[in-house]
Amino acid sequence: MTPTLNTFIRALMAPDLALTTLAAARAVPGGDGRPLLRRTTRFAEAEIEWQGSRYLLMLPLNEAAIPAAERALNAIGPLAEAAWLTRYRILPEELRWQDPAGEERRCDLVLHPLPAGYDFDEALLRTSPARLGEALRGLQTAMAAARIRHRDLCAANLRWCQDAWVLLRSYDACIGAEQSGAFDALHRHLAEAAEAQVRDTTATYDPAPAPTGYLWTGNRFEGLRCVQDKQGYGFVDNVNRLVIPTQYRWAGDFHEGRAEVETAEGMGLIDREGNYVLPPHFEIVDYDAPRSIVRARRDGRWEYYDYLGQPIREAVAEPVR
Amino acid sequence: MNYSQSITRNHRTAFVLLIDGSGSMAETIRFRGRETTKAEAVAAVTNDLLFELLERARRHDGVRDYYDIALVRYSGDDEVTTLWPDGRELLSVAELAALEPRIRMETTEYRLPDGGVALRELPTPVWVEPHAAGQTPIYQALDKACELLARWTQRPENADSFPPVVFNITDGEATDCEEEELRNMARRLRSLRTSDGNVLLINIHIASGDPSRGLFLPTDEEADYPNRYARLLYDCSSAMPEAFTPVIRAAKGPGAMPPFRGMSYNASAAELVAILNIGSVSVKTE
Repeated sequence: MTPTLNTFIRALMAPDLALTTLAAARAVPGGDGRPLLRRTTRFAEAEIEWQGSRYLLMLPLNEAAIPAAERALNAIGPLAEAAWLTRYRILPEELRWQDPAGEERRCDLVLHPLPAGYDFDEALLRTSPARLGEALRGLQTAMAAARIRHRDLCAANLRWCQDAWVLLRSYDACIGAEQSGAFDALHRHLAEAAEAQVRDTTATYDPAPAPTGYLWTGNRFEGLRCVQDKQGYGFVDNVNRLVIPTQYRWAGDFHEGRAEVETAEGMGLIDREGNYVLPPHFEIVDYDAPRSIVRARRDGRWEYYDYLGQPIREAVAEPVR
Repeated sequence: MNYSQSITRNHRTAFVLLIDGSGSMAETIRFRGRETTKAEAVAAVTNDLLFELLERARRHDGVRDYYDIALVRYSGDDEVTTLWPDGRELLSVAELAALEPRIRMETTEYRLPDGGVALRELPTPVWVEPHAAGQTPIYQALDKACELLARWTQRPENADSFPPVVFNITDGEATDCEEEELRNMARRLRSLRTSDGNVLLINIHIASGDPSRGLFLPTDEEADYPNRYARLLYDCSSAMPEAFTPVIRAAKGPGAMPPFRGMSYNASAAELVAILNIGSVSVKTE
């Protein structure tokens, strides 16, 4: 029996309580602040940061997934030096969870490196289709020489890294004949994308890459990116200047100019300058950006505040769905 | 008829969630290690199930339309009401993905290796809020499911699909029928079918009483827990098809012997979706 996706996402949000080796990992949040899940045929996966690098952490969706991943590791084992192939690790009994009857169980997870680079669509925006096509032919030659096939050879399983394509999700790799059909489809994809590109304009938005030197960096929201160093969490701007010092135990992303933060005294809400809209005196602060309402708990009692931090005295009805 | 059809965009299936919102849902039970109302437990089970269905359809190119989902609450003055926007009876899973549910901080319990317990407040999507008012028209709710799925199974494009699955999440205290009438209505619902099998009716029993721990896909013997509605719900539930036996035995332990019933007691239904995925190629994706 494999865990549900609910179990997986709860583990991703509290790795120190549910994971073993990856207890210090942090899941990359999606737009709603929760880890973004995606599934393949065999695994559900989420992007995490751990020890300064990015990975895909994978939960098997059925009992056959891990044995298949082990077989694929054997198949690609002799290709340890191949830069075009990512090698993953199987973490035995990494996830602790409880089954419906309350029994404690353990589940193996797959830790798959996500090399620094770009996905297929982003690579198309940054590199000429001719160069991408040439690199694709290079990958085809390398795979043919190694007699390696990928059962799901498609754009989603390619990553553009240091001027070359790298094959992701290599648990789908196996020994086999050349895949000219799949490569032809990828070349057509490239050609169509090149045709669709607007050539008489220049993109002016060129965000700075994620800053280095931090223990962790988040995604940019409203021009501010949450970062973590030894002092705690803070925010850098579009050019990676530290504009809100790393002083918080934890910080959420900015939404509508507000971010939840936590200090030793409690949770609060700050504005884009780092000023407290709500001082950090609460057990929980939850900012509902679409409604511009802050829900905060103090001494076990819930209170409501408006965008400016003024108390709302009337009861705030929860939306009915 | 072997429950082996893959659930794909070409062979879609349907899930019907019937949820009890009656007055008895205000009673307190112990659920997932905490004291809570039945209504909170029903909402948690339903939201877990919707999350599971949604995320299992999320692929690299977006949410794929693998199934339709109905969400029906029964409560009030024998009211059976769809909870989807604009009175829609069925939403495709891609339409569900577009709803953008409210995110609420919920306390989640983690069991630690030393036996201790840790609690965390986690953001959780909420499609269904707790509700406790009025009667428990289970008969009418099953009748509604019959009506919906009779139309669904008759559509030519669904003829060879994996059959629909109905989750009825309730404390079992029906107020609109006698027990035998309920058994007959459940039988009628289970008799609907595609070429791949009959509709599966899964009863999720949310109730107080022993055993204090959850039960999942019980055998006849296990369903004898001391609750007056346990046997009735067991009788109404589908026998789990043989195709699922290996994976159910793997889940319950090698000592578990079939037949198993499509039922759980104070346990989430999301695990059943995981078991479908494990136990057959039914949730194999395209």
